[in-house]
This record gives sequence, C-alpha cells and structure tokens, in this order.
Amino acid sequence: MNGVPSRVVLFIGAVLAAVTACDRLPGMPSEVAPPSIGSEAWTRATFNTYCRGCHASGADGASIPLMDRSYWTFASDERVIAATANGQGVMMPAFSQSAGGPFTDDEVMALARGMRGVFGGSSGAGISATIVPGDRANGEGLFANACAPCHRDGAPGGSLVDPAFLALVSDQGLWASTLAGRAVLGMPAWNHAMPSRPSGLTQEEAADIIAFVASHRAAKKDAPP
Amino acid sequence: MKWARVTIAWLESRSGLGAFIKPLMSHRVPASAKWWYVFGSATLMFFVIQVVTGVCLATVYAPSAAEAWASLRYIDSEVPAGWLIRAIHGWSSNAMVVMMAIHGLQVFLHASYKYPRELNWITGVFLLLVVLGLAFTGQVMRWDQDAYWGLGIGASIVDRVPLIGSQMRDLVLGGPIIGGETLNRFFALHVFILPGMAIGLLGLHLALIMRHGISEMPRAGERVDPATYTPAYEARMEREGVPFHPDASQRDMVFCGACLIALIVLAAVYGPFGPGAQPDPTLIDTNPRPDYPFMWIFGAVSLLPPSSETVVMLAAPALLVVWLLLVPLLGRAGERAPSRRPGMMLAAALAVIGIASLTWEGMTSPWSPVMDAWSSLPTPGAMVRGRKALEVQGAIVFQYAQCRNCHALDGEGGRRGPELDSIATRMTPEQLTRQVQQGGGNMPAYGKNLSSAQMSALVSFLATLKPSDEAPADIPGALLPLPSR
Repeated sequence: MNGVPSRVVLFIGAVLAAVTACDRLPGMPSEVAPPSIGSEAWTRATFNTYCRGCHASGADGASIPLMDRSYWTFASDERVIAATANGQGVMMPAFSQSAGGPFTDDEVMALARGMRGVFGGSSGAGISATIVPGDRANGEGLFANACAPCHRDGAPGGSLVDPAFLALVSDQGLWASTLAGRAVLGMPAWNHAMPSRPSGLTQEEAADIIAFVASHRAAKKDAPP
Repeated sequence: MKWARVTIAWLESRSGLGAFIKPLMSHRVPASAKWWYVFGSATLMFFVIQVVTGVCLATVYAPSAAEAWASLRYIDSEVPAGWLIRAIHGWSSNAMVVMMAIHGLQVFLHASYKYPRELNWITGVFLLLVVLGLAFTGQVMRWDQDAYWGLGIGASIVDRVPLIGSQMRDLVLGGPIIGGETLNRFFALHVFILPGMAIGLLGLHLALIMRHGISEMPRAGERVDPATYTPAYEARMEREGVPFHPDASQRDMVFCGACLIALIVLAAVYGPFGPGAQPDPTLIDTNPRPDYPFMWIFGAVSLLPPSSETVVMLAAPALLVVWLLLVPLLGRAGERAPSRRPGMMLAAALAVIGIASLTWEGMTSPWSPVMDAWSSLPTPGAMVRGRKALEVQGAIVFQYAQCRNCHALDGEGGRRGPELDSIATRMTPEQLTRQVQQGGGNMPAYGKNLSSAQMSALVSFLATLKPSDEAPADIPGALLPLPSR
C-alpha cells in the first residue's frame, strides 16, 4: 500500500462495498410470489378477505362460525362447496364465477377443502349435512322443552317464531345453527346434555323442532326486491 | 503534460468556453449572502439528477399502455441497480419540489423579487409550474392504479372548464377516455416538452441572476428605490462583495453534498415509488392517492362542499398563479426586511400552515370507503354476545348491506360515515329506520335494497349498540349531533 494515499483506498473500498451490497439494501423491491391455490396460506388469506366478515371464530362474527370445529363435524364437502358456489339462504352471496362471484370452480373446491384442513376435521357420526324432513306436531312439544327457556318471547335468546327472523334464515341455516350451536351466544349444540335429556336431542328431533319453527314463516317469502 | 496544455489552449482559442465560464465563477456576490442562499443551487442539483436518472430510465421504459407497468417491474427486478435509479428519480422529484418551495419562500421572505429582479421571480413562478407538471406527468408514467385514477380526476377537473372543457379533456387524454394514446401523450410531455421548457426557463433564470446579481440580505429601513438601486448595488459589490467561487460556492457544495447523501439514503432505504396495482378501471376496490406535491390539493378538493367544487377547483389555482406573478410588479419598491412587511409575512405563514395541514389531511383522512370491510371484518364479539336471534340476524344484514365499508365498529371499518358503537344513544329505532331507508347527509338510501325483514333486523341490531351504562335515545325527533370524525 506504500505510495497510495489511504483515503483513495477507503474510497475504493466504500464504492466496492456499496456496489456489492446493492442487492441487500432495504429499499430494494422484493418479489413475493402469491401463495398457491389450496395451500394453507392461500386458504387463510382467502377466508380472511371473503368469509371472515360473517363467519369468524367463537368470539366475533354474526353468522355460522366456520372457524370453529363444531360446524365441520357434520358439514360435508359437497354441502360447503354448494353453499360457497351458489350462495345460501337469503344473505349468503354466491362466490362462483358462474353465479357472478370472484372464484373459479377449482378455487371454490380448493377453498372448501382448505377450510376443513385449516379449521376443522372430518365429518362423520352419520349426521346429515342437509336438513332432513321433520314432524311439526312432535317438534312443538320438543321446542317447549328444549328451546323455549331461551327462545320464548322476552327471553334472552329472542323469539324464533318471529316472521322477520324466519324471513332471513333458511331451514338449512336453522339446521346448521342447531347442530353446531353458537357457543359465543350461549347456545349449546344439539347433542348438549339438558336436565330433561342427558343425551341431548337426536337428529330426527332436531329436524322436528325446525319443522315446527319453520311453520311460522310467512307464506310468501319476504325477499329483497 | 505538454500535450494536455496544448489541447486545452486549442479548445479555449476555438470555443471561448473558459472566457464564458470565468466570469460566472468570479462574479461578485454580497458577503452577507450566507447559508440562506443555498436552496436555489440545491434545486438545480436535483434537476440535474432528474435529467441524468430520467435519461437512464427512458432507455428501458416502454411508454405503451400495455407494457409500461411490466417494464417498471423489469427495471426493478432485472436491470442492475435499476430499482435504485427509479428510487433516486422518484425521491429527487419530491426533493426538487420541496427545495424549490423553500427557495421561493426564502426569496419571498427577503423580498428579493423587488426591482430589478422582478423577471427572476416571474421565471421562477413558471419554473415552479413546469416542475409541478413534471411531477404530475411523472406519476402517470408509473401507469398503476394511482396513476389511472389520478389521471381520471385530473381529466374530470379539466372537463369542468366552461365552454371548451370537453375539447381540452380530449386534448389531454388523446380522446374522451383514458386509452392507449394517453400514456404516449404524457410521456411526450414528461420527457420532451416539460424538460425542454424547464431547461429554457432555467437558462433565462440563471442569465437574469448573472445580469442583476444576487440580492443582499435585507436590512430594516433600507428601502429599494428603482431610481438609485442599481448603481448603489454595483458600487457596494465593488467595495464589499466577494467572488462567487470559492466564497459562496463552497457553502453551496457543502449543502448540495448533504442533500445528495440524504437523497441516496432515502432512495436506498425506502426504495422506488410504486408501481402499485395494475390499472384496471373495473376495480373500484382501490384507494388512490396522488403523490406528495399534490396531496394538499387532494385534501382541499375532498373537503369542499360539492356546490363550490367547480368554481374553487378552476378559479383558485388560476388566482394563485396570477397573484404570484403580480407580487413583484405590485411591490417593486420599498422595504425588504421581513419586520417591515407584516402582511406578506402573514400571507407566507398562512400558505405554509395551509399547505402543511391540507397535506396532512390528504395523507390521513380515510374518506374513501373500505371496500372489503364487509367481507373481512367480523362483527366484534361484544356486539354479538347476549343479543337476541333477530338482532344477530341484523348484525349479518349489517355486513350483507356493506354498512361496514363506511361505518366503523369498535374502531375497524370505513370512516366515511360516523362510527356506530354508540348509535343507539343518539338515535331512536324510528330515526334509525328513517336514516337507513331514506339516507341523508352523505349516506345513500337503502330503502329499496333491503326487505322489511332485513330492515327490522338491522334496526333491532343497531338499537343495541350503546354502552351498557347509558340510556338509549328516547326523545322523539331530537337528533343529537353526531361526533365529528
């Protein structure tokens, strides 16, 4: 280094350091590849953008809590795919592109299967994912026994035979709420033990109750124009 | 080194370049001109950086609507140090506007625009307009969502000009809508027309500085008198002046060096601006904001009541420019010291405070709806727990009708309308029903979009939104004022 001024060495060193460090500067834009369809990251991101507003977990959200395991124990993939693709009841919009939504058919299927993988487990125990026909007369007595303590007029859970409520909730929606329960609202699931019934309701009894409740629905469906 | 001396002597004899530059370097400037006078030089430095980096970018950038966005991504990811050059170009653009504003403010505070330097100021005003034009057209070069909507807003402002508005809009956009020709037009403006005008005006500005000399620091009681000013100034420079180089130029160099380091650090740490999402007119799920130099206009326009928009948007900028041009013509003589010009000081202070607060307003005020709030923000648990069946359905209607996009719950959601956490203390169910059905204020009417069941569920839910220790609103017809945003 004799003869070369030290500041020249310093300068060259600084330039070399700057040039080689160029790709590690914090301002360099990074390419973030979007998560692949069906992956857990994709499922969570998609759920958070499109579903979470209504279907959040236990503490939050107003509709069926899809982030809770309780729903997934009886919901079949076919049922979830149908509801996601074509909408459900009065207020759930359709999400498949064929119905005007944002997702391709593949994405709808990947989302339904992905949600089960992320939030729930396998369905089983022989519970029907869709509502089964019930007996209205039998349901009336069961309702008085199992539901009325919370759902009679003036009780904390509010009336279920209110035509406004029934105009907004489909039978399938009542089925899902009865089977999954709404822990955050204090509503137990169908097979919850009650003083009068240590083993809870059977599937048929739940259907009977829903047949009774749904019979109060106004004849003409009050749908938005 | 004899050949070098011979070459230089030959060049000098044929071109006379040295004889031209020497007086530039040695012209006498007031000794009082200390650190106050460095801002003009720094603006010039940023302009030179813009030209150099801009030429580099133009060698790769594709000015076509189909390829512009992708070519920026290419510059960012493939071209060696391309992202750094884009970052420097973007940051330097903002820095040039800021430095220019500071330079203009200093000239205004010291009234250096008075006789005989009126034209210096006027060329400066036109330079400011050209630089703002460069900043706006530069934002369009990014060709992303912000650029697309910024253009749309600019074009609709132009469209409001009486009589010739639609012709002017067609001229700006190359047709009635933003299309393939639009980007070419703005590219030509950004790289040929406006830089050409800037270089011409800059030459004139510098020639005028050489012609009239740099003004001295103002002293209270020392009035500018056009009859005697020039001889007195020249005599004083002869007596007390110092040569520009090295006395003043060294301060310029130190300041410009500091600015350059700050610029490179900003560019290296914060990176280039955009490009944001691809421009797609069908996507309304976007929240476009202009670049910083225009944020205060964005803030001002958004605060205007709709009835006054056209008049204010068209007349205010024109009046502002006319006033700036008239400043040196109406005030060519008299006191220069700030202490003797309280009215002008007040005007400057109001301008700075106004632009700063409107910029802040433009940056922070979330007046656009949050388009995905309805599907991504769940109803807070505290507002669901303990509710009756119909009220819970009302919470779903609240999401379904996308109320959340404009109305926050528990601090989350849009802020276009008031937060509704305690709406039940301010409005009775009857008032809520009327408001949802008929709209009012900025709110659209939802009467036709909701069934009667949805309406009664929604209102029954809204009627539960209040702190448990507060009474619900119960005075018929009495609407308490909504809290401000």
